[in-house]
Amino acid sequence: MTDHVNEPWKGYEKVAFRFFFLYFLIQAFPLDPKYFAQVFSLPWSKLRYEDIFTLAHYTPRFFGETPVFADWSIVILLSILGTGIWTFADKNRTRAYDNLYYWIRVIVRYRLAIGLLAYGFIKLYPLQAPYPSLGNLNTHYGDFTRWKLFSLSLGIVPSYEAFLGGVEIAAALLLLFRKTASIGALIVVFFTGNVFMSNLAYEGGEYVYSAYLISLALFVLAFDIQRLGRLLILQLPTAPNRFTPSLSLKWQQYGRLGLKTIFIFFFVVLFGFRTHWGYHHDPYQYPETKGLTGASGLYNVTLFKLGKDTLPYSSTDSTRWTNVVFERWSSLSIAGNRPVIIDSANTENVTAVSDIKKTYELEGSDGRNYYQYEVDTLRHLLTLRNKNVRDSSDKWVLQYARPDTSRIILTGINQHNDSVYVVLDRINKKYLLQEAARTGRNGSLKL
Amino acid sequence: MPVTETTRDIPGPEIASFSGSNKLLAEGAHSGTFRPWKEYEKVSFRVAFLFFIIISIPNTAGWYTELFHFDWTRLNYRDLYDIARFDSGINFSRTFLGSPLLGYANWLTTLVVAIIGGLLWTTIVRVRKTERQEYNTLYYWLRVVVRYRAGIGIIGFGFTKLFPVQMPYPSLGLLNTNFGDLTAQKIFWLSVGIVPWYQVFAGIVESAAGALLFFRRTTTLGAILLLGALGDIVYVNFAYDGGVHVYSSYFVLLASFLLVKDIPRLYKLLIQERFTIPVDFYPTLKAKWQQYGRYALKAGVIFVFLFLLFYLQYINWRYDPYKQPAVAGVPQLRGNYTVSEFRINNKVIPYNPQDSVRWQDATFENWASLSFSVNRPLPLDLSNGGGAPQKDLERTFEMSGVAGGRRVFHYYADTVDKVLYLEDKYKAPSDLRNRGAGKEGAAKRGKSAAAGQDHPGGAGRDHSGVGDGDHSGAADRDAPGWISAEARAHIGNERDKIDSRAASARRDKEYGETPKKEKRNHMILHYSTQDGSRIILTGIDDHKDSIYVILDRNNTPYALSPSSLQAGKY
Repeated sequence: MTDHVNEPWKGYEKVAFRFFFLYFLIQAFPLDPKYFAQVFSLPWSKLRYEDIFTLAHYTPRFFGETPVFADWSIVILLSILGTGIWTFADKNRTRAYDNLYYWIRVIVRYRLAIGLLAYGFIKLYPLQAPYPSLGNLNTHYGDFTRWKLFSLSLGIVPSYEAFLGGVEIAAALLLLFRKTASIGALIVVFFTGNVFMSNLAYEGGEYVYSAYLISLALFVLAFDIQRLGRLLILQLPTAPNRFTPSLSLKWQQYGRLGLKTIFIFFFVVLFGFRTHWGYHHDPYQYPETKGLTGASGLYNVTLFKLGKDTLPYSSTDSTRWTNVVFERWSSLSIAGNRPVIIDSANTENVTAVSDIKKTYELEGSDGRNYYQYEVDTLRHLLTLRNKNVRDSSDKWVLQYARPDTSRIILTGINQHNDSVYVVLDRINKKYLLQEAARTGRNGSLKL
Repeated sequence: MPVTETTRDIPGPEIASFSGSNKLLAEGAHSGTFRPWKEYEKVSFRVAFLFFIIISIPNTAGWYTELFHFDWTRLNYRDLYDIARFDSGINFSRTFLGSPLLGYANWLTTLVVAIIGGLLWTTIVRVRKTERQEYNTLYYWLRVVVRYRAGIGIIGFGFTKLFPVQMPYPSLGLLNTNFGDLTAQKIFWLSVGIVPWYQVFAGIVESAAGALLFFRRTTTLGAILLLGALGDIVYVNFAYDGGVHVYSSYFVLLASFLLVKDIPRLYKLLIQERFTIPVDFYPTLKAKWQQYGRYALKAGVIFVFLFLLFYLQYINWRYDPYKQPAVAGVPQLRGNYTVSEFRINNKVIPYNPQDSVRWQDATFENWASLSFSVNRPLPLDLSNGGGAPQKDLERTFEMSGVAGGRRVFHYYADTVDKVLYLEDKYKAPSDLRNRGAGKEGAAKRGKSAAAGQDHPGGAGRDHSGVGDGDHSGAADRDAPGWISAEARAHIGNERDKIDSRAASARRDKEYGETPKKEKRNHMILHYSTQDGSRIILTGIDDHKDSIYVILDRNNTPYALSPSSLQAGKY
């Protein structure tokens, strides 16, 4: 496994290489026992895309679940330590590290490709930013956080989201081949660079992880950056890479091919199919349980009685409801003046969880309280539970009556054991977002 | 033109150290010399030359006359912006074989003309036996034209992001509008507007791409940046029906053309892993006047479009953000209000979200706008709310692409008698310029298919409010009768109410024009307030009904973080 054209490396180059080798090895290659425990606890016989996504999200973490830049400094310290020992032990015997450079670049290329494929497929099948819920459509623009608005704005254009996913996947595929790796890495620097800036600007929680992916891409690109600069900017004659690892033995050749095939099968084919299936049957942002049949829509709260008192419409009263939204799934949301403790989640939590924990609709949203409900169709009962974990004592048990398709009457008790009587009347709401998409902006609309 | 060809010296020792093989050296040296062009290369060059020249130069006489009509001593950023952004290409009817082709018909027409021209050119040189061996010189100059066209164009575009005015931070009225009551186009614009620093970043990328195109060594880098950034914007425009798809595709086309030379090199170096010698032809300008001329032109372009435009754009952002009204609103009124009491012709209407007459809420912006929402259908303005209107009344970003019953009025404040003279920002459409992509009527989109974005347009037919028949422009000396002479004296001339540094010949001209004949609704409301926590408005609304409204300040903060980089001075 040597190459005949390589030059001896200078002393400082070797020291620098040892550092970067160790640094990127620790960053990219899972060495954490917890990670392997996680790998072995997965349901391998019926793997879901959420499981593969979780596998793909590895970074070395020393300070808890969320990646922080401090993790990087620990990795740097470990690498410096390792470099010292290595340099001392080597006693300048090694002439060059072309071979090792090649293989660490392989590890980084594949690690980076995994990260991109994970995010690429949940965008190609637009799961990451789903179309806004009815509750979100009926919330003031200013009542969302920046991060939520970013996600909602992407959610209204699934074709664009799929395009972005396609770019990530294309870059990942380019990274899988030595000759196209630098082009893939260049795309990542631009694309994920933009993701990183978006995370900073929109107060997103993935800025450390996106910076991590960029650092990997820069390492991959570094191999060719001098050549590219020389050719494209200085416009001078440029020599190509001359190094290829010589895998002379049969088992090496088959091993390489086998590993590559397994990788592509697992992270591209299998993950792609699972995500496609998940898009239709197992979206991770919204609950799967169907809501009250035929109830989906926006309702005006025509009458609201608390005990014996009829509460008039009010723009300040925190008890009376203003309007109610039933989603297609088992969520309903109530607008009124009851304060909302905003769920400030801003990271991608792609894990398989129960419906009540699928909180995308209330994340970063003020103005409405969101409830998960269970329907007892025999006794005509709705059991409501506030989906916000910090407001979980907010529960309602309500009997429903549906005199016609546009009216729902709810009676029952709230968490303070007050009796309530509420009449909901469907509003035939037309959304400009959808109407303008239908008629185009050249027509005239009256809404 | 006295031009000599220069080949680049190939440093021998370097090659030796790279290759260590004579075969390589020979390979490099061979491809490093200029060779005669192949037939197909010459024919396609002639077509490309005609095509790219035609789409790189302005196609209207107006552009050229404007150039000499600007008052170069009192410029508005928009003057340079308009120089940078023009219509090009050949346009017979805005359609190609009867179809607007989503606005790309102009490109195809131009291509057909270029093909015919290219074939004619080929025939002529062959008949006259004057056919050249190659077009290195012409190719070089064609690239210069395209580089500068793309560079200037994208800088004009990028600077409105560098100083974030292209996507304004949402007004209070917009913050109080439901997400579903906005068009997709509006949602995208706002999603950038809420993060002004990100918009600055996007502006830096675009302007940097443009600046890099001014230098031949950095052209490739600039073209890659331009291709990446604008490729994304093309997709965004299709997805969100943004209406700027043709103009953004234009830059993708120009950037792709500039990269044509580099693709084979990259392929050879990275994919084939072969020694690559770039062969670039740079003409040598021999005569003194040519050398000085080149420097003067280059320095002139850089001064005007990098430095002067930078300053003008800064002034625009600071004092006169072009989509946002610039004149300050009455300070003690600004904010969000709950409508605590609403009387119409002395009859109290209690709060009810379903009531179609009562105001549901009210907002005074930092600038001179009052908005409130009502629960009844209104005809909508579906334009982008851009363009270059100087009058605040015509700056419609706060109401275009917005439903949910929101009405927005511009007001002229008589602060002596405490009366607001309000004028509806909505007006029935006068033209249909620059709307969305695709859909019917794209061909009628008017003046500029390429200039898709920033022009105002109206929409809808009648206004439910039924105007009072009064035609009005502004409240300056020309304003017709609905504002008394005394009140007009109190109000003063709106033109002069922005910082004097933002004054321009363009502003003077528009404010000086005779008022357009347009139907707008009017209201005249007296306001009284102690400290702004409660405001009482009384007067006549646009239906000639007398109204009495009590507003109580609502200080509830938004979940959305406020802007840390505010445009305008109020």
